[in-house]
Amino acid sequence: MGVAIQAEIPERLLQQARLLVEHGWAESVDSVLSEALRRYLESHSEQLTERFILDDVAWGLHGRE
Amino acid sequence: MAGSEGPPDILVVADAGPLIHLDELAVLDLLHDFRRVLVPEAVWEEVEGHRPEALRALSDVLQRVTVATQDAALLSVSQVYMLHAGEREALALCSQHPRSMLLSDDTAARLAAVNLNVSVHGTVGVLVRAIRRGTRSRAEVIELLKAIPARSSLHIKPALLDAVIGEVAKG
Repeated sequence: MGVAIQAEIPERLLQQARLLVEHGWAESVDSVLSEALRRYLESHSEQLTERFILDDVAWGLHGRE
Repeated sequence: MAGSEGPPDILVVADAGPLIHLDELAVLDLLHDFRRVLVPEAVWEEVEGHRPEALRALSDVLQRVTVATQDAALLSVSQVYMLHAGEREALALCSQHPRSMLLSDDTAARLAAVNLNVSVHGTVGVLVRAIRRGTRSRAEVIELLKAIPARSSLHIKPALLDAVIGEVAKG
């Protein structure tokens, strides 16, 4: 069961999402937004972000150039 | 030290985040300690839209570059990680310059860079590097790290920032 939220997004993105639905590539704008959010969360995991920042610290302090 | 030897021969390709965040912290001058800083067209436009003063402040170092071609592998990786045009162009430039380094604060762009064997670091790395390069003291860098939440739009979990500061203080 989904949860309704209210969010402001750029008009252009909404138009693109509606086009995908109109052309039959997606079931609904809701499903497009949900899928986009899922993919964003997958590629921006907290663990990964932390690892990159700690890599930065190690490089900053001890890196060789 | 930076003063005696000059900047190391590192070609940097900048994404918008670090340019904006370093400017917010008033330390864009740290980019003088790289040989060249390339800014892809799409990144240039993004920074121009959000923080044009960053481009003016470093006009002597930043080199605006039009990225003509993007290979299929890069486009695939960009789609998988849902990269923006700027991130895509930055990675394309890095792939054209094998010894280059990408500057990005975006996790997905950094992950894509790792998968493409592109060296990548972010704003925190540039700040901490200033200690090793002798362009800022350890105390100055710690103050800059502490200022990130208040003075910049770079979001870092407070507990992680505390850990970073502790690590930097330890040396």
